[in-house]
Amino acid sequence: MRIVGIVSGLGRRVIAGVTRLGRAALFLGRLAPGLGIALMRFRLVIQQIYMTGVLTLVIVLVSGAFVGMILALQGYNTLVRYDAQSSLGLLVALSLTRELGPVLTALLFAGRAGSALTAEIGLMKATEQLDGMEMMAVDPLPRVVAPRFWAGWIAVPLLAMIFSAVGIIGAYIVAVGDLGLDGGVFWSQMQSGVSVRDDVLGGLIKSVVFGFVVSWIAVFEGYDAKPTSEGVSRATTRTVVSSSLAILGLDFIMTAFMLRGL
Amino acid sequence: MEATKGSKPLVAVQGLTFFRDSRAIFQDLSLSVAQGSVTAIMGGSGTGKTTLLSLIGGRLAPAQGTVEVAGELVPTLSRKALFALRRRMGMLFQSSALLTDLDVFENVAFPIREHTRLPEPIIRNLVLMKLELVGLRGARTLYPAELSGGMARRVALARALALDPLMVMYDEPFTGLDPISMAVIVKLIRELNDALGMTSIVVTHDVAEACSIADYIYLLGDGRVIAEGTPADMRKTTAPEVRQFMAGLPDGPVAFHYPAPEYVSDLTVGATV
Ligand SMILES: Nc1ncnc2c1ncn2[C@@H]1O[C@H](COP(=O)(O)OP(=O)(O)OP(=O)(O)O)[C@@H](O)[C@H]1O
Ligand SMILES: [Mg+2]
Repeated sequence: MRIVGIVSGLGRRVIAGVTRLGRAALFLGRLAPGLGIALMRFRLVIQQIYMTGVLTLVIVLVSGAFVGMILALQGYNTLVRYDAQSSLGLLVALSLTRELGPVLTALLFAGRAGSALTAEIGLMKATEQLDGMEMMAVDPLPRVVAPRFWAGWIAVPLLAMIFSAVGIIGAYIVAVGDLGLDGGVFWSQMQSGVSVRDDVLGGLIKSVVFGFVVSWIAVFEGYDAKPTSEGVSRATTRTVVSSSLAILGLDFIMTAFMLRGL
Repeated sequence: MEATKGSKPLVAVQGLTFFRDSRAIFQDLSLSVAQGSVTAIMGGSGTGKTTLLSLIGGRLAPAQGTVEVAGELVPTLSRKALFALRRRMGMLFQSSALLTDLDVFENVAFPIREHTRLPEPIIRNLVLMKLELVGLRGARTLYPAELSGGMARRVALARALALDPLMVMYDEPFTGLDPISMAVIVKLIRELNDALGMTSIVVTHDVAEACSIADYIYLLGDGRVIAEGTPADMRKTTAPEVRQFMAGLPDGPVAFHYPAPEYVSDLTVGATV
């Protein structure tokens, strides 16, 4: 009896999850024409990039610097056992560009800008602003949702690059200032060891995918929210949880493909 | 308003039936709004007045019956045709529905910017003219969060008028207004209607305002029109449910209470558990 209950409960959850994914996909289909229209009014997109940038830039700068410094300390601690501390710059740069930059930026973005995006769209719905637009013969999908979607999609890769750059600078400061490594070695090892095609481009592809997914989840949850304050706050939570899981899951898949080939 | 009687109706609703879940909100409702008139739609809370405006504006589709606006069957229109029609309809929402991230000026400019390619100085003048009409030209830099409920309503009115619509639908324009603003809005609705040759549908439960402003009144109840006529007809009528509504009497054929179990037994259930 209990097993039946557990199995059917599990089944219900799976079905609910798949249904939700289907709704999100349908929503993306409805949004697609709006994405084209929004590109023609790029001023609105720029405005939204600015808004999300303001929200996320400081937290990305601070986190990037700390992560870089921590990587330097931890990496040095391990490398010095094999007398390989001259490779610290390479280690830090690879960790950041391939993995930590894209992933942590996307997670930070989901928590900060993604949730704000969901709340904003959900509140516009709850306060009849979207209905009002429809009655003024303005379609909210291209006018409100699409620019925000583009903004998130474009902002995440940009922020990820900033994250990695700041992280490398943070690591350099710790390595040269505190651990006494030679600055020239730090840079030259990095320069010769990091491949633009495999490492930088691979990281960029990841952050483009993360930007797409996080923005998609955020606008979908906002647009799909129950038009009440409780509905909006639930949607905000769902954005953060689903985006985080999606980022980590996709990261695993993409990493597996990139490292082991197709 | 004998002159408006003969002209073709701008809005014609025929045999309208509409359900929310399985509950019928309207059952075989018919009404028409004459071109150039001010028509009041009255009825108690929850009788479906807002729903009726949504049906006229094409935001909801009826289960049965037709909704015709300016000769077009609203439920059958494509999205594009519907949007074209809506450009000629203004709607004042019960909740104002102003865009909270834009200031008063930009809220009124919004429909103009979205639908026209006018140069900035002309947009500025148009917006200031609409704001002057509602007496809020001085409030143009305020944000919706900084407005009182009545001011927000007036900004929403200016916005509804921005594209000089054929027809404006007002959902409860009088609630929450002080007597002065109320008188201003009443006068404004009438004057705009006559001066700009618009048609107005005013949803309200304010009997006195409806009588002073409207050419024709529909009283809704139980999903249909329970009475209609000019304000004078409505005051003279002897039908008890109309008298109850017009005089604001708590007791009468229309129940104040939502259907519920018998009161005393409902209260004593708690005691016996
Ligand atoms: N989104 C909705 N979902 C389900 N039922 C709804 C919804 N909106 C309204 N209703 C129901 O439809 C009925 C009519 O609602 P409506 O808002 O049209 O009333 P109203 O006449 O405008 O009332 P009021 O004067 O209080 O504004 C109500 O009984 C309400 O419970
Ligand atoms: Mg209403």
